[in-house]
Amino acid sequence: MSINGLSRRALLQSIAFGSALTVASSIPGISFSSSGGKLTVRFNRDMDSLDPGYYVGGHPDNDVNWCCMPALVHYDYVDGMAVWAKSPFVDRVEVVSPTRIEFKLKSGLMWSNGYGELTSEDVAFSYDRMAQSEWKGDYVAYDRTEITDKYSGALILKQAFAPFMTQTLSSGTGVIISKKATEAVGGKFTNDVPATCGPYVMEWKQGQYVRMTRNPEWTGTKPQYDEIYCPIVTEDSAAALAYEAGELDVAQISSDTYARYLKQVPADSKLTVAGALQYMWLGMNIDNPKMKDIRVRQAIQHAVDVSAINQGAYSGTAELSSGIVCPGLVGKRNQTGYSYNPAKAKALLDEAGVSGLSLTLRTLNNQERILASTIIQANLAAIGIAVEIMPLDSGPFWEMGQESKGDTWKDMEIWLMRYGSGPDPYGAFQWFVRDQVGIWNWERWSSDEFEKLYVELVAVSEAEERHKIAIRMQEIMEETGAYVFLTHEPEVFVHRDNISPRFAPSGETMLSYFKA
Amino acid sequence: MIPGDPVSIALGPRATPEIQAAYAAKMHLDKPLIYQFLIFMGNVLQGDLGADVFSDRSVTTTMAEQLPFTVTLAVSAIGWAALVGIPLGCLSALKPNTWLDRFTGVLSVGTIAIPSFLVSIWAILLFSVTLRWMPVIGAGESGNILDQVHHLILPAFAVGLGWVGYLARMVRASMLEVMGENYIRSARAFGLRSRTIIFRYALKVAILPTITLIGIGFGSLLSGAVFAEIIFSRPGIGKLIYDMVLSRNFPVIQGAVLVTVGLYVFVTLIADLVVSWLDPRVRDSL
Repeated sequence: MSINGLSRRALLQSIAFGSALTVASSIPGISFSSSGGKLTVRFNRDMDSLDPGYYVGGHPDNDVNWCCMPALVHYDYVDGMAVWAKSPFVDRVEVVSPTRIEFKLKSGLMWSNGYGELTSEDVAFSYDRMAQSEWKGDYVAYDRTEITDKYSGALILKQAFAPFMTQTLSSGTGVIISKKATEAVGGKFTNDVPATCGPYVMEWKQGQYVRMTRNPEWTGTKPQYDEIYCPIVTEDSAAALAYEAGELDVAQISSDTYARYLKQVPADSKLTVAGALQYMWLGMNIDNPKMKDIRVRQAIQHAVDVSAINQGAYSGTAELSSGIVCPGLVGKRNQTGYSYNPAKAKALLDEAGVSGLSLTLRTLNNQERILASTIIQANLAAIGIAVEIMPLDSGPFWEMGQESKGDTWKDMEIWLMRYGSGPDPYGAFQWFVRDQVGIWNWERWSSDEFEKLYVELVAVSEAEERHKIAIRMQEIMEETGAYVFLTHEPEVFVHRDNISPRFAPSGETMLSYFKA
Repeated sequence: MIPGDPVSIALGPRATPEIQAAYAAKMHLDKPLIYQFLIFMGNVLQGDLGADVFSDRSVTTTMAEQLPFTVTLAVSAIGWAALVGIPLGCLSALKPNTWLDRFTGVLSVGTIAIPSFLVSIWAILLFSVTLRWMPVIGAGESGNILDQVHHLILPAFAVGLGWVGYLARMVRASMLEVMGENYIRSARAFGLRSRTIIFRYALKVAILPTITLIGIGFGSLLSGAVFAEIIFSRPGIGKLIYDMVLSRNFPVIQGAVLVTVGLYVFVTLIADLVVSWLDPRVRDSL
C-alpha cells in the first residue's frame, strides 16, 4: 500500500523519526554555568542541623546559615589575612574595650513566619543560649549582653579574650536566632529552622539539594544571584566530573584533582585555595610502655620523611607543617627543631637500647591517610621499627583516645591525626591543655609552662606578643617528642573564572558574597 | 558488632554525660539488645521506623522520599535491558553458530563482565564530559518529568547494561531447548508461521526462567543501583545507606535495610506470581 507514492513502511519510519526528534528537542539540555541568575555549588555532604548551639558545625551548615541567618560580624580579608567585618545586619559593631563590644542592628529586618523584627533581644537570647550549649567552649569568656534599646546593645566579656571577634562571633557559632521562634519550638531545632532572616530563604531536600532563593522580605544589600542551587555530591571524583561537564559552577576538589588541575585547569576556570586551616600530625602516646622513652619518640621524629608524604599522599599540594598553627595565622612556625635524618634516628634508638620494636599505626580509613601511613611504615622500617597499619572508620577512630569511651587509649601507640582550626591560634591550642588529656589530648602530656602561656595567649591582643607565645607553645609540644608535624591540607575550590568567590578561612563558602 | 557508640555519634563529643544519659534512655540504648530489637519491631509494625539521629526526621518519611528513586532506577534499568537482551537472546537462538550468535555471545559476556561503576564513569566521560548530552548529577527537577527522564538515562544504562548480557544468555539457552521440543516440531509440521511458533509457543515457555532470574536477581540490581546512585549523586535507598553507614546513623540504616529486604521479598513474590500466571503447570501445583 502507498499514499502518494509513500509506502506504509516509509510513512511509519518518517512518523517515528519525527516523533523521536520532537521528544529529543524537548528534553532539557544541560544548563551551563551562567552567572547572574543561578549559581550551582557543590555541597560535599548533607546538612545535619542548623541550630548553632547543637550542630556539628562546618560545611555545609555554616554555608547555609550565613545566607539565611543574621550575625553581627562576618569574615572578610585584608591583604590576604582573615579579619572580622560588620555584617549586612548591623549599622555598627565596635570593640570599645577588651571586654565590651557594642553593636547597633539595622532596623526593619524581619524574621520569617511572622516572628517580627530582628532585635537586640534576639542577640542577647542567642549568645546567652550559646554560653549554655554544646558549643559553650567558644563562649567561655562571654558574660552577658546589655540591651540598650530595641536595636542596640553591648556584649560583655568576663575577661579579655582575643579570639572573640574572629573565632567566636565570625564563625558559625556567632549566628543569631529568633528568640520567639526558638521558644515556640521548644528551645531547639535541627533543619526545620523556625524563623530565618537573611538575603536568602532555603528549601532542603534530604540527600538531594539545598536551594536558596532571594528572600522577598530582605531589605538589606541585594546579593548577586537570584538562586543558589547546591546539589549534594558526596564523591569527590563525581564532583570533578560534574564540574567538567558544566553542571557545577563551584566545587570543592580533592588533592589529587587539585594536582591534576594544577597541570591543566579546566577551560574558563580558576582554582582558589580557600584556606589551609587543617593540621595533621603523627601522634605518640607517651603513656604507652613502648613510647615511654623520649629517645624512641625523637627517633620517630627524625625517621619520618614529611616531604615524601606530601608528594605521595597529597601529590605535593599540601603545605608542610612545622606546628599546629596554620598558614596565614599569627604564630605560624616556619621550621621544626628536628629534620629527616634516618641515621640520627637509628642512633637514638641504639642509645635507648631499643631493637625489634613493633608498633601499631592507627588511621582513618581514607585514601590520603592510608597512603601517608604506608610511607611512614616504610620510613620506620628503615630504622628497624615494624609498623602495622590499622585503618579505622570514623566512629571508632574518634573515640579511641577518649578515656570515657573505654580502654583503647591504653593500647594506642602511634596514630595519624588531623584537626581543624579557626582563624586564631587559640583554636588550635585549646585541645592540648591539661584538661584535655584523655579527651582530645591523646598524646597525654602536660606542661605548666604551656598552661601559663595558654592563658596569656587568650588574654593578650598584641599580634607580636601573641606570635611569640604561640611559637613557644609549639616548641613545648615538639620537645615532648610526641609529635611529627606533617601537613596543612588546603581547601581548594574550582570555579568559573567569571565568579569572584568568598570563603571563610575554615573553607566554608560565603555564598551571599559571591559576585559575578 | 558495629564499632562506635551511637550516643556519642548522635550528640557529638561536646555533649555532657547528663545529656548523653538522657539520650540513651530516650532511644532505649541503655536496655538489653533483645529488648531494643523488640521495641524496634513493635514500632515497625505501627509504621514507625524511628528518627534520624542528627536531624530528628522520621525515617519513614525519608524512606517514602527515597524509595521511588531506587524503584524507578531499578525498573528502568531492567526494562531497557529486557527490551534489548530478550530479542538478542531470541535472535541468537534462532540463528545458532552464525556471526550474529557469536557477536551476541561476545557482547553478552562483555556486558556481564564490566562492573556497573565502570560503565557509569565511562558513560559520564563520553556522554556528559565530552559530548555534553547528558547530565551527571541529581535526579532532575521535581515535577519536570522530561528533566527526570533525562537524568535517568545514564544511570539506567549503567545499571542495566550487565543485565542485557545475562538476559540474552538465559533466553538463548532456554529458546534453544524449547525449539528442540516435540510440540514445536509438531507446530512446524502443521505449517504454522515461524513468527507464531516463536512468539506464541516457544518464547512464552522460554521466558519463564528469565522472569524467575529477574526476581531473584533484583538484589544484585539494587546493589548495582548503589554505585549508580553514588556516582550520579542520585537520591535513593542505596546512596542513603552508604551515607548513613559513613555517619553511623543507625536508625536510618535499620529502616533502609528493612525496606530493601521487604522490597526484595515483594519483587520475588511478584515474579513467582507472574510465572504461575504464565505457566499452567505451576499454577495448578499451587
